[in-house]
Amino acid sequence: MFPELLNQSAVILIFSVDAILLMALIALKVIHRRRMTSHEGRRKDYLGLLSRHISFENHTEPITEPIAEDPAFLDALIDMRNAITGDDTTLRRIVNHHGIIQRQMRYLDSSWLLGRRLRAAVALAELGDETSADMLIRHLDDREPEIRIQCARGLGRIRWTPAIDQIVSRFGREIPWVSTRFSDTLVGYGTRATWPLLAYIRINHRFETEGAVLALRTLAQIQDDEAVGPLLAILAETSDLEVQIATVYALGEVGSPQALTALDSLLDSGEWALRAKAAGALGGLGDAAAIPRLVISMRDENWWVRRSAAAAVAMLPGGTDALYRALDDDDPFAADAAAEALTDIGELVSARRRADEGSRTEPLLAHMRSEG
Amino acid sequence: MALEIMEWIGYATIGYFIAMQVYMLFLAVVSAAALRRNHHLRRFGRVGEMLSSRTTPPVSIVIAAYNEAAGIVDAVRSMSIVRYPRFEIVVANDGSQDDTLQVVVDAFGLEEVRIPYRPDLDCAPIKAIYRGRSGVDITVIDKENGGRADALNAGINAARYPYVFCTDADVVLDPDCLVNSMQRVVEDRARTVGVGGNVRPINGSRVQLGHLIEASVPKRVVPRMQILEYIRNFLASRPGWSWMNAVPIVSGAFGIWKKSVIVEVGGLTKGHLGEDMDLTMRVHRHLLDKGVPYRIVYEPAAVLWTEVPDTLRVLRRQRIRWHRGLMRAVRDFRGMTFNPRYRQMGMVIWPGFVLFEYLAPIVEFIGWFVVPAAWFLGALNTTALVWLLLIALGMGLLNSLLALLLDESFGYFNSVADTSRLIAVAVIENFGLRQMTVLWRIRALLGGKETKAWGNMERRGVANLARQE
Repeated sequence: MFPELLNQSAVILIFSVDAILLMALIALKVIHRRRMTSHEGRRKDYLGLLSRHISFENHTEPITEPIAEDPAFLDALIDMRNAITGDDTTLRRIVNHHGIIQRQMRYLDSSWLLGRRLRAAVALAELGDETSADMLIRHLDDREPEIRIQCARGLGRIRWTPAIDQIVSRFGREIPWVSTRFSDTLVGYGTRATWPLLAYIRINHRFETEGAVLALRTLAQIQDDEAVGPLLAILAETSDLEVQIATVYALGEVGSPQALTALDSLLDSGEWALRAKAAGALGGLGDAAAIPRLVISMRDENWWVRRSAAAAVAMLPGGTDALYRALDDDDPFAADAAAEALTDIGELVSARRRADEGSRTEPLLAHMRSEG
Repeated sequence: MALEIMEWIGYATIGYFIAMQVYMLFLAVVSAAALRRNHHLRRFGRVGEMLSSRTTPPVSIVIAAYNEAAGIVDAVRSMSIVRYPRFEIVVANDGSQDDTLQVVVDAFGLEEVRIPYRPDLDCAPIKAIYRGRSGVDITVIDKENGGRADALNAGINAARYPYVFCTDADVVLDPDCLVNSMQRVVEDRARTVGVGGNVRPINGSRVQLGHLIEASVPKRVVPRMQILEYIRNFLASRPGWSWMNAVPIVSGAFGIWKKSVIVEVGGLTKGHLGEDMDLTMRVHRHLLDKGVPYRIVYEPAAVLWTEVPDTLRVLRRQRIRWHRGLMRAVRDFRGMTFNPRYRQMGMVIWPGFVLFEYLAPIVEFIGWFVVPAAWFLGALNTTALVWLLLIALGMGLLNSLLALLLDESFGYFNSVADTSRLIAVAVIENFGLRQMTVLWRIRALLGGKETKAWGNMERRGVANLARQE
């Protein structure tokens, strides 16, 4: 039925591939492992070599070209760069003398091997040299997402201020994984990134909601007081719920009392998500004046708002006492929210213990008894 | 005429087997391409940055525990030190008959608390909730017995974070499994609703204090065969499915889900023998019906170690249960088969699953009788038959070797002896072991009381999984 020759050819072909795979497996097992072990060994040797060069100014042990081109030497350089906390002049001299940065820039620019390009991008990010700044900016548009991330990291590492706008401007058009890592880089820039971020939000919050939200989240982590005024202005101006929520979150994280009134008024918003976020943000302000209003929010119709309000009360000075009192609230949902918040900070356990010792407040005792 | 029919059936059976191997090979090649890229990104990319980022989403690890007193404490300890910025552990004690609850309460200094419990998903009644103040953020839900799915539903209800990692109490987590899997969520938080991880058998490996010290291949053939199966399945199929955004099963031992999506589909199905596949397929169907862009992905670098059956008796029970689960899924999702509305899932992966997983034992079983009979009666040419069988065997071996090659990039098995054992089992599994699993799956098709129970696997506990030396 089937031509025998075809069958024979198929069997020969398949078993040949089997044999090739088998050999590849053995080769990987033996050669690759040996190579990796050898790589690790050389890396350790190079670390010793670099240590000696750094420790002794006139150390003459040569770093030859083959050594400088060895990937294990690059790894050792990165390790050493990350280990040094003080003066790194000697290391920089070695890097410059052997053209390490230039070599990696060449690989990043012209190699077609993904592994080599990634290694180059990581090396440039870790070694952080200003001569590579222009190339790193150029590769913020690289086709490979991980390379874009490493380039931003490199720019962040050398605190290359002109790159802030370049990174921020890509928020709206990047894939989420990359833009989130860009955000981490900008947090590393600290307050230097505040105004570029605010400018980006002001211009884009109507058109690039996702980018604006990420910029607001970045600002929340930078926690610069100077951002509060512009953030309040954005809050007053925007009608987009996502942007509102992110702005409220940022205000809570910055934690300036200036935001108290604005956040307080949002507890009456028609949107439960906004009410919940405003409650959480009030907790972040650290002002006990917010407690009475938050206790009212613990009776909200939405459970997430109740929970956020109770968690916020727990964060404020005197909040724990307020939560203990709320355990006896006429509204059972408010009492539940209080119990949950107390449990989250480990307080309900201690309250129970104190109850056993007879040292608790009367309302709390009554509540616990009613709960059995 | 009869001989002609037998000849056709004989060749069709062998043809089916070859087609199955070609399909598997296609998946393996796609998987290899996906893994190659993944390997580079793992090697040079810095997933560790997520650890210090405040934008990293928190995760609730939900564990279903039934009579797990032997290993629950070590399992929770092993989970509590995974590298991840923010997570909680929720243990759902499913009405255990042993001291599971008490040992957890004692070990972590938990106390019963009165906090609201929001039953978004149906489950058996809750008896009590326990929380503690120790460094481990752990919540224990003590509930009446309702089965694994029911316990997970209860745990998901109590989970405080937007992503839930559903797992078992008898597993050892790789310290980076959460960060590696959640990276796939952070990549595309809006669309990613599920992430599956790489489940690997722990039998024969060295475990200390709930940690894997050294992975190794056991000398016993039964677990060794399963190691090869898991490698084939998790490295030579799933990356391919993931690449096509058509993962039909996120393993029950390692599945991270967006909580809101699980609530939307009604949680895990109680009493289902393949509740992980059922949940995955229901999520696909629900989101494709809604027309919402989504993805369910598989992350091979997110590794979890679990104990697999050591004896044929336990393995038989497990395989019967799995096939019963598959049978129900095939029935429940028949509307998706070859239905273009469900895109690549409906047109490629699910039909492939039905053809080459569900129907495989039936076709192979028929082949056992028809092929020798046809050959005996002279309906099959001996030479052609031998060649075709060799093709089938060679392709099966090809799949196994390719899977082992892919596994090398993860470097779990260091010794040449381990790899040699796996290569040996790739050959010998074709002579007896495979046939045994076919018989068990046929047994599952026949039904009966025996095939409808979960059965107990004699668990030794995570702390006792260490290789006897």
